[in-house]
Order: sequence, then structure tokens, then C-alpha cells
Amino acid sequence: HLEDKSLLVKNTSSWCHCQTSSVSEPCLSLFSNTVKYFNHFIPTISLNTNIWNIFTGDIGDHVVLINTRHIAFSGNKWEQKVYSSHSGYPGGFKQLTAAQMHQKDPKAIVKLAVYGMLPRNLHRRTMMQRLHIFPDDELPDEILANLTEELPQPREIPKKFSEYTQEEIDAFPRLWTPPEDYKMK
Amino acid sequence: MMAARSMLGSLWTTFAGLKLATPCTNLQLQQRIITARLPAVTFQSRGIRQVVEKREDKTTTIEGQILDVPAGPQPPNPSAKCPIYRWNLQNKYSYTDVLLLSQFIRSDGGMLPRRITGLCPEEHRKIAICVQMAHRAGLLPDHKPKLPEDHVPKRPKPQLNRYLTRWSIDSVKPIYKTGLKWCKRRMAVGHPALKNNVRYGVKPLYMKH
Repeated sequence: HLEDKSLLVKNTSSWCHCQTSSVSEPCLSLFSNTVKYFNHFIPTISLNTNIWNIFTGDIGDHVVLINTRHIAFSGNKWEQKVYSSHSGYPGGFKQLTAAQMHQKDPKAIVKLAVYGMLPRNLHRRTMMQRLHIFPDDELPDEILANLTEELPQPREIPKKFSEYTQEEIDAFPRLWTPPEDYKMK
Repeated sequence: MMAARSMLGSLWTTFAGLKLATPCTNLQLQQRIITARLPAVTFQSRGIRQVVEKREDKTTTIEGQILDVPAGPQPPNPSAKCPIYRWNLQNKYSYTDVLLLSQFIRSDGGMLPRRITGLCPEEHRKIAICVQMAHRAGLLPDHKPKLPEDHVPKRPKPQLNRYLTRWSIDSVKPIYKTGLKWCKRRMAVGHPALKNNVRYGVKPLYMKH
């Protein structure tokens, strides 16, 4: 059945790495996916799923997102952003901060972000069915086998200080010299 | 490494008073100084001294000689007062430029005073802000304050990745009611002090998400 949906596009949510179908690279732990990023990511995701979708219900690209557990938010959104929902019953209003939501379910933030960026029509639900989100690096075999493409990361991951080699640190010029009698660092 | 150097530096300022060799009477203390290894000089800062031991007949002279480190490349604009203006980096650095930011911080992550680094007040503030953002993004993992060995954190900290955080993590409260479109309570990203930074893309910098 999956052979019909042969074009499986793998997408990695920003920051972290991309695993191509042919070569798998080790994935980094940092992974940033801000809702801001999604502004250009999702149109690409939705485009991929849209193309064939219009013609027959069964054809369409699939998109796979991995490492969503390591998503990064810009600013203080982990504490400030609140996801609200109401169950419909009285007293059923729930408000969760992004941090709490992420702890409860690492896939939920990405899923809600994508859902909010797709066009608000009946196709949205089918397009969401073609999106596969995984919190970590492990993928089921059927999906791994069918990966064709790796989408580029929208944002580069900055290097930590410990990741720079000593030569690079030395090559960077000293901007100022401390006075002779100062107790350095 | 940095702790050892600072220890050495402080010891020398208290005993030697910086410049001359003092034949120390307290041999045990000296032995301790010798055993604290001075690593090979990696920085150009002239505050580092090399421990040199000279043995004579009955006196052992141990002195800290200020190494003559050759000056590095000359800045393109040497007449300016602030180091960032000297190197023409005014609006070009960001929280990701850890190599630049690490030159203005102590080994436990705090900023160095402005009278020592020679920065002008605006740039000092901008660098402090970038250093804060880099710390919160986890880009300076080795510049943490030294905690005692048996320190156990009270509650486990959630490992969340973040970047361009303006406010401190504990000080921010969730926005339960965001308001209507015309009066929305926005979430702050980045810092207005860095609004003049060079942008290589077309998109405007927006700080209210």
C-alpha cells in the first residue's frame, strides 16, 4: 500500500540534522524549530502534499519530521506561550504552557504548529495524515525504507564554544589586551 | 585551567606584587605553586606569568616572569577607543559569535568590567546582552560557576533548547490571555539593543512574536 505513495519526502525540522535516505548522518541533539521557522517550512510541506492530492485522494507526498523532542523556541516562548483547549464540558478549560505541553507529549507542539499553518479547508486533515512526526531518531522500517529526499534546514545551528577547535580559537584575534596587573579570569 | 591561572594570578598579586621576583621564605607554599601547572600560553594577555625556578647554592629563586607575547594582527582602525570600533565590528556580531563573546567573559561566565576591557558603554551593554543570550542558548557550556562537589539541584531542570531569549527563564510568566489582535500581548524575541545589527537577508527583524 505504501508503494502507491512512493514519494516519501523526509523532512527534518530545522536545526538538527537531516537524515537522507541514502546516507544517514548522526543527528545532533540540538534541534530548533520555531514557529517562526515554520513559516517557510510549512508552505513547502503543504506544497508537497498538495500537488497530487487534488487529483486523487490516495496520491500525495508524505513528510516525516524527526527529533521533535529537541526543538528550540526563540525568546521566552517555552514559558510564555500557552496552548489552550476546552473539552466542551463545563470546567474543561485547560491551559498548558509550551514547556508543560512538550513534557507531556514532545510531538504536540510541532503538530499544532503545522496544523495552524495549513489552509483552513477540508484538505487540512488529509494533509495532516500525510505528516509523520517522531520525537526521536527512531523510525519504523516502512518509512525508513521509503525515504527519498531530505529537506534543507531553514536555520543553522550555532556552534558551542566547546565545539570550536583550538586552532580556530587561536586564529580569532584578541580584541583587547588586559592591563598588566589585572587578575585575568 | 582557568581556575589554576586565576589562583596563580591572585597568589602572585598578593605575594610578589607583580613585577619583581621575591625570594620566598615559605618553601611549602612555593612548592604548591610549582605543582599547580601553568598550561602553555594560549592567550595573548599580558597578565600571565611563567613560573621560572632558578637554583643557586642555598637559595632557590622562583619568580613569575611576564612573558613577552608577540602582538597579534593589528586592528583595522587603531585610533578608536573601544575594541569593537577598532576592529569595525560595531553592528556585525550576534549571540552566536561565541569566539568574540568569550573574550569579554570570566571563566565562570560573568562579564569583565568595562574599565578593564575598554569597551564603550553601549557596546558593553550589547555584549552583555549577547552573552546572556548565549548562556541561555547553551553555547557557553564551560563557563559555568563552580559549584561545590556535593551540590544536588533541588528540582530537575527541564532540558529545553532556546535561543534569542531576552528575559531570564524563571522571571517570565505564561501569557494566559493574549488579548485581541489590536491589543495582543506579544512574546519578546531578541533584544532592542541589537536592532541596528547588519541584516544580510531581506526580511525585517521583528522582536514581537
